[in-house]
Amino acid sequence: MTDKKGKILNPACFTVLKIALFFFIWPFISVAQDADEPIIVGANIGNVPWEFQDTDGTFIGFEVDLVVEIGKRLNREVDIINIPFNGLFAAVQSGRIDMAISSIGITDKRLESVSFTQPYYDSDQSLTTIKGGGISSLEDLRGEIVAVDTGSTGDMWATENQDKYGFTEIRRYEGLAPAMLDVVIGRVKGYISDIPALLYYTKDKPNLEVVERIPTGGRYALMLGKNSAIATEVNDTISALKQEGFVNDIHAKWFGALAEDTTSTVRVVPMPTANEGLIFDFVETFLNMEVFIQTYPMLIAGLITTIQLGLLAIVAGLAFGLFLALSRLYAPKAAQLIAKAYIDIFRSIPLLVLLIIIFYALPFVGLSFSPFNAAAVALTLVSGAYTAEIFRAGIEAIPKGQFEASDALGLSYKDTMVEIILPQAIKIVIPPLTNNCINVIKDTALASVVAMPDLLKQATQAQAVAANPTPLIAAAVIYLMFLLPLVLWVSRLEVKFKRESR
Amino acid sequence: MTALIKLENVTKHYGSFQALSGINLEVSEGEVVCVIGPSGSGKSTMIRCINLLEQYDPSGKILVDDILVQKGKNLKNVRAEVGMVFQSFNLFPHLTILRNVMLAPMKAKGLSASAAEKIAKDLLVKVGISEQADKYPAHLSGGQQQRVAIARALAMEPKALLFDEPTSALDPEMVGEVLDVIKNLATSGVTMIVVTHEMGFARQVADRVIFMDGGQIVEQGSPIEIFDAPKEVRTQNFLKAVLNH
Repeated sequence: MTDKKGKILNPACFTVLKIALFFFIWPFISVAQDADEPIIVGANIGNVPWEFQDTDGTFIGFEVDLVVEIGKRLNREVDIINIPFNGLFAAVQSGRIDMAISSIGITDKRLESVSFTQPYYDSDQSLTTIKGGGISSLEDLRGEIVAVDTGSTGDMWATENQDKYGFTEIRRYEGLAPAMLDVVIGRVKGYISDIPALLYYTKDKPNLEVVERIPTGGRYALMLGKNSAIATEVNDTISALKQEGFVNDIHAKWFGALAEDTTSTVRVVPMPTANEGLIFDFVETFLNMEVFIQTYPMLIAGLITTIQLGLLAIVAGLAFGLFLALSRLYAPKAAQLIAKAYIDIFRSIPLLVLLIIIFYALPFVGLSFSPFNAAAVALTLVSGAYTAEIFRAGIEAIPKGQFEASDALGLSYKDTMVEIILPQAIKIVIPPLTNNCINVIKDTALASVVAMPDLLKQATQAQAVAANPTPLIAAAVIYLMFLLPLVLWVSRLEVKFKRESR
Repeated sequence: MTALIKLENVTKHYGSFQALSGINLEVSEGEVVCVIGPSGSGKSTMIRCINLLEQYDPSGKILVDDILVQKGKNLKNVRAEVGMVFQSFNLFPHLTILRNVMLAPMKAKGLSASAAEKIAKDLLVKVGISEQADKYPAHLSGGQQQRVAIARALAMEPKALLFDEPTSALDPEMVGEVLDVIKNLATSGVTMIVVTHEMGFARQVADRVIFMDGGQIVEQGSPIEIFDAPKEVRTQNFLKAVLNH
């Protein structure tokens, strides 16, 4: 999970994985702390200058320095694993990780379900845009699309202020790199995110600039589980490190100057506490009715997008697949070879890779798709290849005598196909085609990486905003509710056809 | 009599295997020709070349009603004039008996559904299957299916019919009902080429019997000439083998 190539690819895969983990692994994880065990720290690697990789792949950054030092003081080893920002909340809540770093701001909402140490950095949000792109302040973004990280403080600020500033759309990315890529391409006009990260990121990129500081008064701290056994000792260690000047030293190392004495980088402040003592248990955390009701509209909006995308890709994929299958079987030799090559290539290429190429690479040759269209094109291209093979198998399963009888009667090629072959082939291909449809609908979740608000994306955003994983569970249940009947239907059809063919 | 079907020096290779060599044959309008011979002698291949289910080698020539049988626009006309009945029936399993017979007149000839239905119903009466019109092929016996297949071929009102071992896939008790239908057709003036192993049937209905072996026409003549006084040794041996058991 820490390889550099995987940086853009990780988030969606991980989110899917995360849902699985909730269901199957969470119950087995021991929450007991063992002093010999390393402290597991989750970090959204790539979040400069807080936690990122140097050219050797070693994790470095302000917060990496901080947690490594804390580990030393506590005589514990520190293991840092790469988790996208919106996955960190669920990870500390479930006990998969002991702590999370990623310039996470303390909010009342988050305090309801997680704990924080005292803060060590005072921050604001910022607007970053392309230099000379005509955007010099938030006011210029009226009628434009802005980018944010899913579930981040910037996301929450932009969502609250969408009407005030008249953003037409807030597009949610899985990290700084893909969001900035889209700013450069020009599909989004600005990126709203933490100011320190963007100041650091843009300093060696002359085509980008931070044009406005958005005062939100964010305070970054280490995030821990609600009942973390190490919260107090970690917090005490931070106090000691502040008093020793260590925290301000790493501030100087990463930001080029010491922090002011009034900031939380220097001053020891109390650990933040939740407004009221809430009881936390499994139901409260994973099946929280209040959170569900609050985030339900977001999930439904995501479901509608998922269904629209799924249906479009399925219908287009069917038509394209039939065309490919007929070309592969009956076209002139050259076209047959092209169809075969296409089918082989597009069955081999991972959908996620294709999606990223279509969305992030094609704009450089002048082909720019919206997230929805990019996802629809990628899904159709791949689904078409699979569908073609299913149709081909179906047609080839029709006895040769059927073709001969049709030929001998003088039927045209078109009539042979439409009247004789396809009606018989359809029956053979319905079960595998339905399986393919299920796969297409499931694969729509991958469109999260191109900032498309599908069901999964909405769920991850909702769980980051509510600081509670209930929306993810709800999303899993929604996927099940409309895919499980399809799966059962296919099984029944297969049994029925098998019986009939006897 | 004019030749409706004419084969000139027709040869057919499957790779290096020669299935037909130098076949010359003329079949007149109204003539009933039975083709006999051992398995693999090229009988089926020969009649399958006539409607181009098999492509013959370009050195030869096949004419149907003076139309050259080759790929292209005219092939449709050839196939409209030459119907075929297969050993394994090849009915369309997803269509009812009636629709099986109606399909070609509607699609290949452009007849209306009502006109095609009338033709189909008449033909089903003629082959004795009219009560089964709304059933699907799987619900019929082999003999009934083959009679439907004959009706289906006749629905295009072809000038000639090709039969490719029409009774070989049938249970013995059903052979008779199918042969009876074909015998009736033979007296109705349709030109027919019948590849068959039924020697009694061939003797009874054929105007001419052709004996093939090794991809060649070895001997031909009237049923009496072939069955009672075959000249060629290969014909004599074949008839001895099939008749004396």
